[in-house]
Amino acid sequence: MATITDITKKEVKEIVFNFFSEECEVDLSSLNENTNIIKDIDGDSLMFLELIEIFKKKYNLDIELKTIGKYAVKHPVQTIGQLIDMQLLIIEHENKLLEI
Amino acid sequence: MSHKKPAFVFPPFASDYPDDPFSNMPGYDVCFRKFLSRAAGFTDPDLKRFEVPGMTFLDDELKTQYISYIQACALISWFKSKGIVPAYSAGYSMGIYAALYQSEVISFLDGLVLIRQAFQAVNETIGKGAFGMCAIIGLNRDDIEQLIRKDKSGMEIAIQNSVCSFSISGPSTNIAKLVQTAQTEGALNTRIFNVSIPYHSSFLKDTAEDFWDFIAQMKFHSPRMPIISLIDQELLLEEEILKKEVVRNLYTALNWYETQLYLQELGVTRFVECGSGKGLVKNARFIEGDAVTMTANSFSATLGG
Repeated sequence: MATITDITKKEVKEIVFNFFSEECEVDLSSLNENTNIIKDIDGDSLMFLELIEIFKKKYNLDIELKTIGKYAVKHPVQTIGQLIDMQLLIIEHENKLLEI
Repeated sequence: MSHKKPAFVFPPFASDYPDDPFSNMPGYDVCFRKFLSRAAGFTDPDLKRFEVPGMTFLDDELKTQYISYIQACALISWFKSKGIVPAYSAGYSMGIYAALYQSEVISFLDGLVLIRQAFQAVNETIGKGAFGMCAIIGLNRDDIEQLIRKDKSGMEIAIQNSVCSFSISGPSTNIAKLVQTAQTEGALNTRIFNVSIPYHSSFLKDTAEDFWDFIAQMKFHSPRMPIISLIDQELLLEEEILKKEVVRNLYTALNWYETQLYLQELGVTRFVECGSGKGLVKNARFIEGDAVTMTANSFSATLGG
């Protein structure tokens, strides 16, 4: 189980915000943790998948996509803040995510 | 010099039409309208009414296929007017007809004929059967095959798009159940397509004979550039082989993932999605390699003055 440091939290937030700013073609300044990914910035679930791939590579994570999918069914993600929280949990718990 | 030339990929019919997808391409609209007018005069006068938004024909499978084909042919013509031809042509699913037009194997009008004939043939084959297709993203091939085996209705993986993205064909009731089950099993995204035909599956095997009899009479020319088979990644260079590919495309599973990987091995560094959507661009994020997949609109912006 990984330890989530303040540096990790900052990194994850930056990556997520920059990602949505670029993919959804919106100003970074217009995004906040309450931004609804689908309703406010026309995001989609493929973007969520791509972020997972980015973090899997960056933190060398051992986690199956379907584990994340099963977690997401019980803890749906709608806002950028919720997505950041879930990404941090993924980094922390990897394939033990469903045991939380 | 394939590393300096792209592969043009022709998508199948659209599920929606975004606003202004060709904003970097002055003159495209005029080009599209010319092709639309020719198609309307030849096959269906109603096509002339196509407008986004408004009259999109998205509830009409045949017209939607026509429109995607016409859009693709207009793009081919637009790029050709700028001196741009690809090194390879790839038809994703029903995009095969545009791939043939790109390679000058068939004429524009013959492409419309093939679309209509194929549509009639598949509808005759399925008769009153209720079929459909869906997309499942986030499960791997083994996961999906396991779900299909449990169902026992004979659903099939129709297209593999990446290691975690698949299109499945089968009876519509079973497709709907599969989508539900896939969500429970952890699929991150699922979608039921707005089609009634189980493309790229053996449910359509019986189209082969009659469709082959029809296509055998048509004139195919030698391709100007290789067309790649999404079935087995062979480069299709001869007329008779291309005719067989068009027939088996209807009832044989496709593998876009392997196709894009192979084209990268051949030196392709850019893939251009020649339609109004971004489905292949988005899917490319999950395919290994350094190649870039871009929309026709984005590609046109790289061409310079």
